[in-house]
Amino acid sequence: MSYRSRRSDLALLWHQVRYEQLSFWRNPQSAFFTFVFPVVIIMIFGALFGGVNPSSYFDGLSAMQYYVPTIAAVSVLGSCYSQLAIVLSIRRQNGILKRVRATPLPAWAYFLGLLAHCVMVSVLDVALIVGVGRLYGVPVPSHWLALAAALAGGAASFCALGVAVASLIRNAEAAPAVVQLVLPIHSDLLNRISGALPVRPFNEALLGPLARHAGLDWRNLGVLLAWGAAGALVAIRRFRWDPRPE
Amino acid sequence: METKPAASGAVVVAGLRKSYGAVAAVRGVSFTVFSGEIFALLGPNGAGKTTTLEILEGFRARDAGRVEVLGLDPGDRAAGRALRERIGLVLQDIAVEPYLTVRETVARNAGYYPAPRDVDEVIELVGLAGWRRQKVRALSGGQKRRLDLALGLIGGPDLLFLDEPTTGFDPTARRDAWQIVRNLRGSGTTILLTTHYMEEAQALADRVALISGGQIVAEGTPATIGGRDTAGARIRFALPDSCAVADLPLAAAAAGDGLVSVETAEPTGTLHQLTGWALERGILLERLTVDRPSLEDVYLRLTSSGHGAPEPVMERSTR
Repeated sequence: MSYRSRRSDLALLWHQVRYEQLSFWRNPQSAFFTFVFPVVIIMIFGALFGGVNPSSYFDGLSAMQYYVPTIAAVSVLGSCYSQLAIVLSIRRQNGILKRVRATPLPAWAYFLGLLAHCVMVSVLDVALIVGVGRLYGVPVPSHWLALAAALAGGAASFCALGVAVASLIRNAEAAPAVVQLVLPIHSDLLNRISGALPVRPFNEALLGPLARHAGLDWRNLGVLLAWGAAGALVAIRRFRWDPRPE
Repeated sequence: METKPAASGAVVVAGLRKSYGAVAAVRGVSFTVFSGEIFALLGPNGAGKTTTLEILEGFRARDAGRVEVLGLDPGDRAAGRALRERIGLVLQDIAVEPYLTVRETVARNAGYYPAPRDVDEVIELVGLAGWRRQKVRALSGGQKRRLDLALGLIGGPDLLFLDEPTTGFDPTARRDAWQIVRNLRGSGTTILLTTHYMEEAQALADRVALISGGQIVAEGTPATIGGRDTAGARIRFALPDSCAVADLPLAAAAAGDGLVSVETAEPTGTLHQLTGWALERGILLERLTVDRPSLEDVYLRLTSSGHGAPEPVMERSTR
């Protein structure tokens, strides 16, 4: 048989990202929770803490200077980790993943497409949150490279963890519960433990460029990427496409 | 059975085995699908049809046996992409993104193949032209199956797998789907389908393999499978109360449901003898029929493990 030309890998990836975007924006729920929800939270926090001046409780920051980057971190966590784990579980259960597997689309293109989609959503989300934060006296990001590194590292690591969790759970109904269990919400009381888990390092890495005029935070980025690598390993070994495994 | 060399087979299966734990789902299945034909795996639910198909499609690993699909081994991960570019799959229990439209869904998958067919042409072919801009979630069950078929065809496959393609279709939709499949064969596509509908195998397939309990129990064309062409005819009728089976001029047996059955290799003469006897005595042979074993009779005989086969359904009636 003669050689049939394939689209270039990049064109295939762009094709995949475009349709991921389309599916995402068409679903009113996902768009609402990703973009409207964080803004509503900022407005509530702004009403509650808008007048709180810099204090030692917030590491010398004002309440909103502390909360806005944290809300940004939780948003990225939500769209990269929680959303991805739940969406993949549902897609597997419905047979959407099996339908994808029935085509020649390589697995790497499917997952890179998802990752690119999640990064795009995260960048938009953080831009929106920082923009709204300006209304509450949060400064313009001081260190763009550090912000980009934290965003890219965080999105990639949480995507890998999201795929890993989707690989380990069996049915879609369990996904929302498991997603909460595996990564407890950022806790100041458990600083030492949370420092070794991925959420707090991500929050710290975002707080740096967004509120503290700090540069690249190598230590926290390292912890984050180590989790990402562990997640990727689990995902590669355990991910299933078929709703009815053997 | 044909004795063509294995090389001309689009699909070659030899000694295929697969167990799920202690349950043996496929127990030594062998068959060959030749290029350009429609081949049907016919059998009841749980016979091993879908497991066999899923091994050929690369979704499941086999325990033993040789499998070749378009010259490639579907169990070989490295061959996966090259194989999937040349095969089309219409599966059971699958879905697509609910928020995309019909056209977007087909166009999305078209982008995965090196030489896809025209998106609008395929949509038209499966009868969804009026629903191009409809969201997938708003489609009816039958329309979703048509969309599945479109996704199976969009890559312009050399070989198409259809797993129970018309389950849940109404009779009109089924005939439309059959015509699409025949047209595909006309354009050179090889088709391997599974079905538990006798009439589907009869209407579509060039050759049929009857699968039961994980084994192939018969193979042939729909007209000859299970010795249908050489089997004797069967004359059945009811006798009035005044007559007994022993009064008849030929060997007969009670066939249940108050009917008497006569097996014969030469129905013309036998029928003449029988009706002559009845007319002489002024006896009316109620519910008189002559038939040969239908595909369904063969199916029921071969899939019911020997005994307790239900009463067969009449295929032709002389009444």
